[in-house]
Amino acid sequence: MNQDKPRIGVYVCMCGSNIAGTVDVPAVVEAVSHLKNVVVTRYNKYTCSGPGQLGIREDIQAQNLNRVVVSACSPRMHERTWRAMLAEAGLNPYLLEVANLREHCSWIHPKEELTTQKAIDLVTAAVERVALHNPLFPQRVPVTKAALVVGGGIAGIQASLDLANAGVPVYLVEKEPSIGGHMAQLDKTFPTLDCSACILTPKMVDVGSHKNITLLSSSEIDKVDGFIGNFNVTVRKKARYVSLDKCTACNDCVAVCPVKIPSEFESGMADRTAIYRPFAQAIPNAFAIEKRGSAPCKSACPAGIHVQGYVALIGEGRFREAYDLIEERMPFPGICGRICHHPCETNCRRGEKDSPIAIEYLKRFAADWVMAHPESEPVRTRKQGVLLKGKKVAIIGSGPAGLTVAKNLSEESAQCDIFEALPVPGGMMNVGIPSHRLPKPILNKEINDIVSRENITLHLNSPIQLNSMPSRTGLTVQELRKKYDAVFLGIGTHKVIKLNIPGEDLKGVHHGTEFLRKVNINHLGVDETKIPKLGKHIAVVGGGNVAIDSAMTALRISGAEVFVIYRRTRAEMPAFEWEVAEAEEEGIQFLFLTNPIEIKGEDGKVTAVELQRMRLGEPDASGRRRPVPIKGDTFTLPIDTMIISVGQVLDDVNEEVVKNDLGWIKTDEITRQTNLPDVFAGGDAAIGPSSIVEVVGEGHIAAESIKRYLLGDDLYAGRGNSAQESKPEFYDPATWDRTPRHKNPARDPQSRIDFNEIYLGFNEEQAIAEANRCLDCGVCSECMACVDACGAGAISHQMVDEFEKIDVGAIVVASGYDVWNPSSMIEYGYGVYPEVYTGMEIERLSNASGPTEGSIVMRNGEAPKRVAILHCVGSRDEHHQPYCSRICCMYSMKLAHLIREKTKAEVFEFYMDIRSFGKGYEEFYERVQHEGIVFVRGRGAQVLPESEHLVVRAEDTDLGKPVKIPVDMVILATGVVPQKDAEKLAHTLHVTRDVNGFFLEAHPKLRPVDSNTDGIYLAGTCQAPRDIPDTVTHASAAASQALGLLSQDYVEVVPTIAEVNELDCVGCNLCVEVCPYGAPSLVMKRGRLVSEINEALCKGCGLCVAACRGKAITLRGFNDTQLLTQLETLLQFSMN
Amino acid sequence: MAESFEPKIVSFLCNWCSYAGADLAGTSRIEYPQNIRIIRVPCSGRVDPLFVLKAFIDGADGVMVLGCHPGDCHYQQGNYYAQRRYSVMQKLLDFIGVESDRLLIDWVSASEGKRFAEVVSNFTYRIKEIGHLTIKQDARKIDTNLEKVTA
Repeated sequence: MNQDKPRIGVYVCMCGSNIAGTVDVPAVVEAVSHLKNVVVTRYNKYTCSGPGQLGIREDIQAQNLNRVVVSACSPRMHERTWRAMLAEAGLNPYLLEVANLREHCSWIHPKEELTTQKAIDLVTAAVERVALHNPLFPQRVPVTKAALVVGGGIAGIQASLDLANAGVPVYLVEKEPSIGGHMAQLDKTFPTLDCSACILTPKMVDVGSHKNITLLSSSEIDKVDGFIGNFNVTVRKKARYVSLDKCTACNDCVAVCPVKIPSEFESGMADRTAIYRPFAQAIPNAFAIEKRGSAPCKSACPAGIHVQGYVALIGEGRFREAYDLIEERMPFPGICGRICHHPCETNCRRGEKDSPIAIEYLKRFAADWVMAHPESEPVRTRKQGVLLKGKKVAIIGSGPAGLTVAKNLSEESAQCDIFEALPVPGGMMNVGIPSHRLPKPILNKEINDIVSRENITLHLNSPIQLNSMPSRTGLTVQELRKKYDAVFLGIGTHKVIKLNIPGEDLKGVHHGTEFLRKVNINHLGVDETKIPKLGKHIAVVGGGNVAIDSAMTALRISGAEVFVIYRRTRAEMPAFEWEVAEAEEEGIQFLFLTNPIEIKGEDGKVTAVELQRMRLGEPDASGRRRPVPIKGDTFTLPIDTMIISVGQVLDDVNEEVVKNDLGWIKTDEITRQTNLPDVFAGGDAAIGPSSIVEVVGEGHIAAESIKRYLLGDDLYAGRGNSAQESKPEFYDPATWDRTPRHKNPARDPQSRIDFNEIYLGFNEEQAIAEANRCLDCGVCSECMACVDACGAGAISHQMVDEFEKIDVGAIVVASGYDVWNPSSMIEYGYGVYPEVYTGMEIERLSNASGPTEGSIVMRNGEAPKRVAILHCVGSRDEHHQPYCSRICCMYSMKLAHLIREKTKAEVFEFYMDIRSFGKGYEEFYERVQHEGIVFVRGRGAQVLPESEHLVVRAEDTDLGKPVKIPVDMVILATGVVPQKDAEKLAHTLHVTRDVNGFFLEAHPKLRPVDSNTDGIYLAGTCQAPRDIPDTVTHASAAASQALGLLSQDYVEVVPTIAEVNELDCVGCNLCVEVCPYGAPSLVMKRGRLVSEINEALCKGCGLCVAACRGKAITLRGFNDTQLLTQLETLLQFSMN
Repeated sequence: MAESFEPKIVSFLCNWCSYAGADLAGTSRIEYPQNIRIIRVPCSGRVDPLFVLKAFIDGADGVMVLGCHPGDCHYQQGNYYAQRRYSVMQKLLDFIGVESDRLLIDWVSASEGKRFAEVVSNFTYRIKEIGHLTIKQDARKIDTNLEKVTA
């Protein structure tokens, strides 16, 4: 601490008339000359000038000054200058205080006594404060000689080349798969009409091949730590799914990709596939796959079917491929496509707009098509694996769970023996679901496709002894475990739940699944099973799908009156509502809030049922409101048949296999292993009665577990977490096709009471149209067609994002701009009238490599005869962007020229002012006028449709009259706005933004390429709208500033940092908690835990200082004493 | 009394945002009342509640702490701590009988010169409405009365 008595020199600047004009400078000097410790006071016209500074330096020497107060402009202006001045005079640069008499006083207040008084107060406070300053010595840190450039448009490319050519290693991070930015989209550039790609691509190639540039494409900045000269950056390299080394850019993958989405590069004027290369001259010249997490349909499917994939393939007419893709995860496409409860459709995002895609019916269509075309060969063949060769697995139950397990394991050459108790395979699919919903031929085909495989042996009529009753085959689970390497229990829940009311044993009373089983086995014709005899008045009790199936089956057998009795209301029925509707259409009657209490009979046969009326009470464990009897309110229904379908449970299983609380076989959540390590269970038996798609999912899980078990691998590795579901924005709602959902044709309810199918399914035309309603939510549908097509083997869908940490000394931000979307300006009809475009859309039409190969054609296919270009759309507008976007006048003229040249159309430009400020710009304006392009001075007010074309209304201010000009095509010259992710990038990089969202420069005139954060520079349109020449200039300027930093060996860090007085510190850890930089840490010193500040990390914000309750930390240069003294002095003023 | 009352306002401005915003107001020559005296700090998080109390004791009628907008703090999170501290402080002030409107915590960015002037003007008018802070004089009266009694 400097203990010398302060000898202060006070200098008050007149700043020409900037300060002296309103503040009485001599009076200020006079007032402060009497203050304690003040040795010399002066005023200068321009203190910052050479003579001004020299005068002060001479005073310092001559008067032996050890403190200086400069009262002038804002310290943010010249504090650096004065510090350098002190250093030159031999004083520590931090023995300075600046009073802000200009920005905070003379410039904002009128010329009067109070203003001068305020100036005096400010100088007085500075004098008091400077006496308390101590010399400070900035730390030096070495500079990492490398640079990061964020963004690979022309600005980023220029900055990278400048830096790389100067010998600096550069990391260029670009979020798209290729560099080039918006400039790559342009056709010809103004005013020279250079072809944009021709001047850009050589630079792109230079970047790609430069030895000092590491290009990280498809990458984004994740985190930036550190400070000037020493930045530690984490880059997220997004999964491209295509290997850069192997891809030969042959385009074979594009030919097979079924997903088409609007291409951003083509501004939506054309589509691209999910696997794509942004443009032909891309650097890196390789493809990438766009994936947006897991499509909602696929995420919702318990069996993991590639839903978006097969829908896309159907949409392209590739039906066999679609079937093959379905079959990979769903061995029963035709079955599933008829009976599934389609959670995929419930999750379908299209359902938020109108109706979900009819995914289930599409699946059925694909299956039916294959059945109708038995000659079709599989397009996708799966290689037979041999991992499980020699292993034997016993599968109990040939329902969908057991069959899925068998199929999966047999694909790895395991020998699977299926033991089925019934005379028919298929479980509930075959014996539980009636033929009018699920025809037997399809069941037979799809089950046979599995059981006829080489490694699978099906044993019908072969129950396994699961409980302690004597069994027919004599094989127990124990015995199976000895003979086989693993056992799978897929036994389903075939045991019916009884009502347990009087009369349940009477003749004529049946139970749901038992009844359906008999009917189905009879329909299959495998043995002597007969269809149960039914009467004329049938009551079905229950509310689930089995009850509905029983009712509709009973109707078809007997043609009698059928009632369905359910104790809650329709809203609580667990049955699928569409099945309830079908039953109603056929004349089945529903009695809701009704419960049977006794079945009455005569001679042992059912004659009636006594029914209790119910009302809904409080919710029960399932969340549904519990039915409560209405006392005394009963009635009798005469019936002769009753079918009770109130649920199923597990058959009795040996105690060896443990059951859970719900009564199902207890299995591990992730692996489906039971308490016996070689016994696995899945399907209804493990999770209760479920749908086919859930049960097939179970089969996949169990098969995977059995495979790992048999190979001795870890059962859990990599399982249990699901992929992130994508919830993307809709593509432009203005243009998506509003076709409503196709209805599955159904037979007329009056004439369909038989066991033929109710629904007829789509034809090809309907299927393709329905499939094309899909919005491609996940973009890539993971159909894997590209993997098969890629000759170079460059595609891997398993790639994941990687993180790379890089150390750099300087960062150049060149993240660019976005084109503004004018949909919100409804007066122009963008997105409503087809022939209204933005400038960028026309660039793509005009570009020879664009969707029309360079011809200007409208959406109706014709060339325009008359075009209007509206300037200032959304710019210079208090409702949208208040600023002028700088480039639009010029690009409008350029487009006008190109359109006229290509189509000879008349072109009208509606403008407010022409901004043709650059080199050659005014001349270009002259030229286009000579070419006959008409300039109307009046902002386009409205675009209206009129018969076959559009009309532009505006005021022609030269004529002073409103005009209406009919045109074919309207081009809106929209302005440039910051990128959508500018806010996020700004926070990551710690740069600030201006009121319009562009990155903020340190000073608009003197420091246009510096951001407010030292070491981070701004290049190009991310800072403000500008044309290509100015962008290149700006980028080179930013590079040169960065080079200025990087060419130094070390940089000085701010010395106004925190310091701990260990004697006062109690080690409470609060400073450690609040510091964003991790500068303080607790260390042991002389037996006590106290805080210590890492001077290299401390930035001097003072957060810890204010947080420290014991006042143990001070901030050098801004300590409490200094600030409180300044405060006290300032408040001595009086306003009167 | 209220007619000729001119409040004394002190303001703590952070170097990176609000101080720069005040500079911009100056560069743009936007006028605002002269009642304000500015103290520059590196971050709004540096401002100790002690300073606010001392300001009121030393005769300030109103105190402003202006920092960067949430998310934009040059030091990441200083402004969040400032927000927390001064929300609580306002309640404490209420508790001891000082109107909480006398303490303002707000955000002004470096490009918001006009806004800075508006914030200062609005605050000054508000303090004029509330009136002079008499807590020091009231405390003195108690002291003098106490002296009389115990003498």
